[in-house]
Order: sequence, then C-alpha cells, then structure tokens
Amino acid sequence: MGKNSSLLPDKNSRWFTTATFLIAVMVGLGLFMAKEGEVVSYMSDNPQACVNCHVMTPVYNSWMHSSHRERANCNDCHVPHDNVINKYYFKAKDGLYHSYIFTTEQEPDVMFMREESQEVVQNNCIRCHVQQVTQTKYKDYIASHEADRTERQCWSCHREVPHGRAQGMATVKYNISPKPTDTYESVIPEWLENELKKN
Amino acid sequence: MKNKVFFVVTVIVVFLLGLLASSIVNRKSEARYEFVPKVDIMENEPRNEVWGENYPQQYQSYMQTKNGDFASYQGGSKMRDVLEEDPRLVVLYAGYGFSKDYNQGRGHAYAIEDLQNTLRTGGPTGPDDGPMPSTCWTCKGPDVPRYIAENGAEEFYKGKWAGKGAEMVNPIGCADCHDSNTMKLKITRPALVEAFQSMGKDINQATHQEMRSLVCAQCHVEYYFNKNLPGKEGVPYLVFPWKDGMSVEAMEQYYDNLEFKDWTHKISRAPMLKAQHPGYETYLEGIHADRGVSCADCHMPYKSEGGQKFTDHHIQSPLNNVANSCQVCHRQDSNKLIENVYTRQRAANENKIKLEDMLVMSHLEAGKAWELGASEEQMKEILMDIRHAQWRWDYAAAAHGGSFHAPVEINRVIGSGLAKAQEARVKLVRLLASLGFNEQLAMPDISTKHKAQEFIGMDVEKLKAEKEAFKQNLLPKWLEEAEKREATYTSSSVPNK
Repeated sequence: MGKNSSLLPDKNSRWFTTATFLIAVMVGLGLFMAKEGEVVSYMSDNPQACVNCHVMTPVYNSWMHSSHRERANCNDCHVPHDNVINKYYFKAKDGLYHSYIFTTEQEPDVMFMREESQEVVQNNCIRCHVQQVTQTKYKDYIASHEADRTERQCWSCHREVPHGRAQGMATVKYNISPKPTDTYESVIPEWLENELKKN
Repeated sequence: MKNKVFFVVTVIVVFLLGLLASSIVNRKSEARYEFVPKVDIMENEPRNEVWGENYPQQYQSYMQTKNGDFASYQGGSKMRDVLEEDPRLVVLYAGYGFSKDYNQGRGHAYAIEDLQNTLRTGGPTGPDDGPMPSTCWTCKGPDVPRYIAENGAEEFYKGKWAGKGAEMVNPIGCADCHDSNTMKLKITRPALVEAFQSMGKDINQATHQEMRSLVCAQCHVEYYFNKNLPGKEGVPYLVFPWKDGMSVEAMEQYYDNLEFKDWTHKISRAPMLKAQHPGYETYLEGIHADRGVSCADCHMPYKSEGGQKFTDHHIQSPLNNVANSCQVCHRQDSNKLIENVYTRQRAANENKIKLEDMLVMSHLEAGKAWELGASEEQMKEILMDIRHAQWRWDYAAAAHGGSFHAPVEINRVIGSGLAKAQEARVKLVRLLASLGFNEQLAMPDISTKHKAQEFIGMDVEKLKAEKEAFKQNLLPKWLEEAEKREATYTSSSVPNK
C-alpha cells in the first residue's frame, strides 16, 4: 500500500479484479459466520442464546430446574447492571473470551468463573437480595451476613444456588441434540397430524 | 510488488476465515454426537425397556413407579381401597362401574395390570364381551399411539375393551410423551389437540415449560365419550369438554347443552355426570400454575445421582420427595411443608364429606319419592339439582390433588355443591310431604363397603368369579398374542463403529 492510502490497488492494475473478488469473499464469509454463530441472539437477554453452544447445556438445565428460573435469567447474574454501557462492554469482552477459548478448544470439562466474573455475580446477588442481607428487621436476617457479603462470596455457603454441585458436560450425558431447550416446530407427530386431518 | 503482497495477505486472511467458519460449523454439530444411542428406537416403540437401553437412568427411575409403598393423607402410591375408606361412594355411584371397585391409582408402571384386575372392566370371555368400551384403554400406555398410527383413531375407539386386550400390554411410559428420535416432548393423544382446536388455540405455540404440563394433560383431565360425533355415530369418541371453558360451571353447562349423561343413578334415577380426574384444569386454577410451575417441576424434579443430573422419571407424590420438589423454592422444614399441604386437604375434605352425606340422603329421598309415585314432571328439577351437586362433588373429589393444587377453587366448588344439594333436598322434603311422607327418612347401614354394596343390590361375588375366569382363560391368550406381535418390531441395536 505504501504511499497509496487506498485499500485497493490502482484501478488500472490487473490485480484490481482479483482483489475486489477476494475482499468480497471475506465479507461473504464474515456474514456466513455471523449467521452460523447466531450473532444477533447475543444482543438479547434470552437464556437460549447461551445454549447456542452445547457446553452450556449443564448450566442451562440446572438453572431451568431452579427457583431462579422464574426470576432471573443468565444475564441478570452474569453481566453487570450498573449501567447499560458497562453491561454490553462486559458482555462483549466476556463473549470474545468465550469464543476464543471455545474456538481453540481450550474449554475445561468443568468451568469456573474468572475473578472478574465472580465480582459481577456477587454484586448481582446483592442487587436483588439486598434487603435479606442488610435489613436487621427481616426474619431471615443473619448477623454474619454483613461480614460474609463483604469478605466472602454468597456461594461459599449457598453452594447449590442455582446450578447445583454436579458440574460439567459429563453430568448431562443424555441430553441429545436437538436439545430439549430448542423451540418446537410441531409437538404433534406426523401420524397424528394425518389422523386429525381425516376429521 | 505491493500488489503481490496485498494479494497474498488477502488469500491468507480468507483462508483463516474459512478455517474459523469450518470450526464454527464443526463445533455446532459436535452437540449432535455428544450422545451415541445403543438402540435405534422405531417410531412409536411401545416397549419401555427398549428405550431403557438408551436412557438407563430415566428408565430405572421410571421403574420406581412400581414402588407402591407411599401413602399420604389422601393419596400416594399404595393400593388403597377407596370404597372401603369411604363407603358413601358406593351409594353415590350406584348403577355405575365405580361402585363395584375403586382403588387409589398406583404408579404408571401398573396402568395395564390394574386395569385388567379391576372389577370395573368385568370378566369378558371374548373380544365382543364385557361392560367397557375400547376407549377405556386410551390413557393406559404407549400401545395406544402405536395402534392409532397403524389403524386410525376411529378403529381404536370402536368396539369393546376386550377387543383390544391383546394390543395393549405396555404400561404408560416413554412413547406416550417423547419423540423416539429427538426425545422432545410430544402430544400423542388426539383428544388434547382437538380440545385446543375447539378453544381456538394452537397447541404448537406451547413453550417447553408448558409442554412439561401438557404431556400430563393428555390424560389427567376431565373427558367424556361422545357417541354422536357427525360421521362417527355409535363410536365412543374421547372428547374433553373444554369448548366453553374449563371451570366447573362451564363444563357443566357444556354437558347440559348436549343433554349428556354418564349414567342413570340406580336409586334416584338422576342423569349423572362422572367427573373423571380434572387434575390439569384444577392445577390451572392454583397459585403454582400462576407462578409458572409445571407438573414436572414437582412430580418429576431434577435429580443428581452418581455425578449425573437428570429428570427423575419416578413420577410420584412430591410429598415423598420434598427435598427435590418443594424445597427447591420453599425453605421451610420438610415436615412443616407437608403439614401445610395436609391443612389445605383436611379443610377441603371436611366440607367434601358434608356434601357426600347430603348427596347420599338426596339419592335415597329421591328413591323414596319414586316409590311413593312421584311423576317425572315433579322429579325433573330435583334430579337436575342432584346431577349438578354431585358433579361438583366429583370434580372436587376426583381431581385427587385439587385440594392442594387449588384449595380456594376446590372449596368454592364444594360450597356451590352444598348449595345445590340443599336445594334438591328442600324440594324433596316438600314433594315427599305432598306425597304423604312427612318424616325423617331412615338411613340404611352403609358403614362398610360390603354393607353398602349389599344395600344397592350388587352381587360382588359373581363379579369376582367372572374376573377370575377372565384371568384364567382370556388374559393368557392376550399376552401370548402380544408377545408374538412384539417379536416382529423393528427397533434394533446400533452396530458398534
């Protein structure tokens, strides 16, 4: 490129057509990957976006069977909620890290949160449960919560919340694809569909 | 030179992008090979043990529905003789099968066996014999979807119960709720889909969470046999009466409009309705349904065993498994939670018994009125009151878990039943007085099942002898025929690769 700041070779150059073609290939491949990777779904708060990738099946399923299901989705705990910029910044950063680890096949069978992520989750526990851990007039108040919430992490004691203690892909051996979390196309089998049409 | 470099760089970038794209595609399809089946399960495979080879944990927990060892305040998995516990039911069901024999339903794995053994299905001697229609098999197991897929629904509903005896041998299990290929939840009974259509709803819009209740709603619902469907006259077609709503009043109105009755009461001659088991309808009225909790959340909770997590297919009373069901959300002590359930059930039961007493009396008083020569015209309104009162009682009683699932609604229903029964009895007292009988009608001794059955004139010994003969003669032939058929099924082992 040198002195010439244009990305493309000179219009009259015999390389012009080839380079245009290759750049179009790059754009096309990029779009293909965006589609295959379901990129748009990651902008949402839908927990099903997290199980786009099957290594999240165990945590998705344990959450789905927990009491948090009705109140909190993945993002409610795992990304910050202090402001919207921080939310998406953290999500993008975490997401890139995930995709890097996953693409290079470095993911461990049992996953643990990084320190940064732990901090986010801890803050989110307190965000919802603030009264339970600070209000002395509440029935469930425990005096040690004050020290515990600052010096320890909630899940040091509440170890089952919400994913349970059995972790990793090996714990959900019989989750076959398409996963039970997939949306249904039809819940009526073909033979029954035909049967109903007769009427 | 510069162009050559640029060309080479672009080629490398495109190559790397291609690698990345192929990695995404590969890793996505990886999920598909996480699980390698041992058996290739054919569509509508009715034998649960064949599915069990692929899914041993689910199958083994399902097999625990054979443990008939838990009794709660009013339910559980134990064999309980309901008529012995409450002989009033013999009188309430006089003229109908449930006065012969009525046991607490055991686990799903007993569905076929218990139906063959109950006196209600009689002692058929051949395929066209016996008191019950083929329709009674509908909820008993995965042979039903298999049979309907092969022969059509009309053919299935046609004929006597005994006519399909050799076809129905596998108890409620895998293929009733799962797709054999994807394991997704699916609907296999036509009536539920048709009921949704009649309400103008599309069952395909159901979410996974809703499906975790709807597969149960294929059977645990109120239904009736409609013999007058256009084009299918005479065939007892299974229909859910949901067209105008699922409340006790809406379904009552639906039946009244059709002038439908399940049977004519033997003593009062009232055109009776038998509420089957409106479990799903009553669950929908309760707080748990309102908060998004499905049937499976409590009756099939998540289970951890040997480092594996899976859905517990030991479908049972959550009271026998409080830790995995109630305590996922409620932090109270197990005994406290069970007590909370019983408190609601006891309260409903108290009023339910009062309603039963009034119903028994109104049947007997109506019988007395007929005896004294009352006219059809004089009895008409009274019999409708009895019909409506007992429908409400049965709706509350037969929705076995209803007094916990929706305690407020169940008590409301029993309350309105009491009002209807009172209405009937006030009219009866006036009628009896006008017929010259102005005193308290003597109550017969129905303190045990035996005495009550004797009172309504039932020959139980004869029924038992017929049942015994059926088990000696016809039943072994059914099982033999079924074994021959199942030998031809095409589910096969997947060869080791």
